[in-house]
Amino acid sequence: MLSPKRVKFRKMFKGRTKGIASRGATVAFGHYGLQALEPGWVSARQIEAARVALTRHIKRGGKVWIRIFPDKPITKKPAETRMGKGKGSPEAWVAVVKPGRVMFELEGVDRKTAEKAMALASAKLSVKSKFVVREEAHTDAS
Amino acid sequence: MATAQLTATVRSEGGKGAARKLRNAEKIPAVIYGHHREPQMLAVDGRELSRMLERITPETTVVELNIAGTPARTLIREIQRHPFKKSILHVDFQELVAGEKVTVDVPIVLVGTPEGVRNAGGVLDQIMREVSVEVDPSNIPNRIDLDVTALGLNDSLHVRDLVAPQGTEILDDPDATICVVAPPRVEAEAAPTGEGAAAEGAAEPELIRKPKAEEGEGEGE
Repeated sequence: MLSPKRVKFRKMFKGRTKGIASRGATVAFGHYGLQALEPGWVSARQIEAARVALTRHIKRGGKVWIRIFPDKPITKKPAETRMGKGKGSPEAWVAVVKPGRVMFELEGVDRKTAEKAMALASAKLSVKSKFVVREEAHTDAS
Repeated sequence: MATAQLTATVRSEGGKGAARKLRNAEKIPAVIYGHHREPQMLAVDGRELSRMLERITPETTVVELNIAGTPARTLIREIQRHPFKKSILHVDFQELVAGEKVTVDVPIVLVGTPEGVRNAGGVLDQIMREVSVEVDPSNIPNRIDLDVTALGLNDSLHVRDLVAPQGTEILDDPDATICVVAPPRVEAEAAPTGEGAAAEGAAEPELIRKPKAEEGEGEGE
């Protein structure tokens, strides 16, 4: 699973997710993409599950890009612990996702396979998402 | 060279309030600029613009703008879109000056299926999708085709392999890679799934700064 190698601080504030993605909102590497439609946290586990779903469906052939990285530590208090006594210990890593963010990209497969693969990957994530195609794809045909 | 026609009106109010009002009225704020010309704020009809964009390649098409009766030959320099709704937010037009060359990004279209994909199961990875060319506006190519049928596994094509259409000069680095036929992926899935939940939170990353001696575990108290 993805996680940072080195961090400056072990724990982080929750934060608030406002606005929409101003960067990383276009298909930049592959031909097809999976774009988030709502804000949320996507955990390293979900990213890995989506990656496995994608690669299994496209079998061999095709290339996958993961364009989000879980760099935010999430802490959790142990079960049956009284409140107080400080913040819990880091338990997981998440990526903060804003609407518009292209989370996965795909190339080297036909559109039908890509749509199905992205639908399978989308089912593993905690944010609503949609299938997108690189803009030039429309213009190339003309 | 492809051309298209579009009607525009002059607008006097700028800023996000005025732009939003325009968009609500199904118009798109735009701007026109160019050599020896003061930038001018415009508004174009939203439907007319999207219908036009469906038919053309925006980067390489000369748009003949009719600005309240005054014609202007322009090139679309930027189309701002909403990140996920795909609605158009703003358009930049650059006026073309007769006799002056322009720099345009022309799409590279790969033609054919590489041998390495057909026979060896490789994946054609297109790294560069547009090439920057300097050209006379009356000569802008719609696309530059590149034949990839002879590519085997691990073969690549570069900017120097492109055949520039007559009257165009390619500005990009000749050694830049356009596409490569990558070997098929080897499935390496066994490792990550086996260890499961235990490894998830346990592997804490190294801290960049050194924690102070007394800080240790009691930092929250």
